[in-house]
Amino acid sequence: MALEIRPLEQFRIERFIPIHIGGLDVSYTNAALLMTIGVALITALVLLGTRQRALVPGRWQSVAEMSYEFVADMVETNVGHGGQQFLPFIFTLFMFILFANFLGMIPYSYTVTSQIVVTFALAAVVFIGVTIIGIVRHGFHFLRLFVPQGVPAPLLVLLVPIELLSYCIRPFTLSIRLFANMLAGHTMLAIFAGFAAAVGILGIFPLAIDILLVALEVLVAALQAYVFAILTCLYLSDAINLH
Amino acid sequence: MSESTPPDPLARLGQEIDKARAGLVRRQPQVADRSTLQPGLGLGFRIGIELVVAVVVATGIGWAIDRWLGTRPWGMIVLFFLGVAAGMLNVYRAVTGVSGPVGYRPPAGRDPGAKKWDDEDC
Repeated sequence: MALEIRPLEQFRIERFIPIHIGGLDVSYTNAALLMTIGVALITALVLLGTRQRALVPGRWQSVAEMSYEFVADMVETNVGHGGQQFLPFIFTLFMFILFANFLGMIPYSYTVTSQIVVTFALAAVVFIGVTIIGIVRHGFHFLRLFVPQGVPAPLLVLLVPIELLSYCIRPFTLSIRLFANMLAGHTMLAIFAGFAAAVGILGIFPLAIDILLVALEVLVAALQAYVFAILTCLYLSDAINLH
Repeated sequence: MSESTPPDPLARLGQEIDKARAGLVRRQPQVADRSTLQPGLGLGFRIGIELVVAVVVATGIGWAIDRWLGTRPWGMIVLFFLGVAAGMLNVYRAVTGVSGPVGYRPPAGRDPGAKKWDDEDC
């Protein structure tokens, strides 16, 4: 009995409700379902958690307040006080990625963040938003971002394109980091699970590795949401604290 | 303002919360320090990505420019080396913590020393 190991099958998109508008395929897929669940859970957590507004918070209120304060702290330390108005955006971003990552850890569910289209959309929103904020705040002065100070003029010919390039690859690094981490982690889990199923009683060893990998994946899921949020903070800080 | 037991329990609780908050602010540097314990994996992965993506994206842009302007192979060659430089620059900044602005100066009004770890605690 040859057991086939197909570690990439878990990333297949399935159309639950096929919808076609114009030439566009906007079907409601398993990825969309998981995103809906994530958003619903976050909304429920925040709304129900803060509904009572108890002075001494209960469990749910504690969770909601702790996640809020965690992100508020992150914004305060990395962007400074001018960044508080972007807190809702960064909080939403962080919670969405965190919930998408953690929901993906549930067996038979779907990891939304393992799709580059999702992570790149998020990163593109951040990149375009940050660039617009920088231009609105500083006008043409924003272009000073690409001109290092105290550099002789001839060198600028070389340095400005490098700076420009290193700015423009930000959305790519931001999205590929998250996507690659989730994709690699979940593929690895599936491969070891496949080994475990294939080798009978000896499968206990790959199974043990899989258990350790699950722990690692939980760490990565939280860490990547944090990295995404903190890099967004740093990019925002570039645009706001320019001088 | 007397610190001793205000009659209103709410006000007293408020004072206690303020006191606890003040303690939290003082502990802030330690919280930042904790992040130095776990940078290995995240930082390593981040830097690998940074270098590879810079080269790939830059070369891709060069290829597109070549297709558009018909300057094969010069756009790709030039952009490849620029991409390597940009990738190295990003890695250097991620490691040294001079990552704030794309320029070479630490952000104004903030302690560069405190900023140092912000970028690395992934």
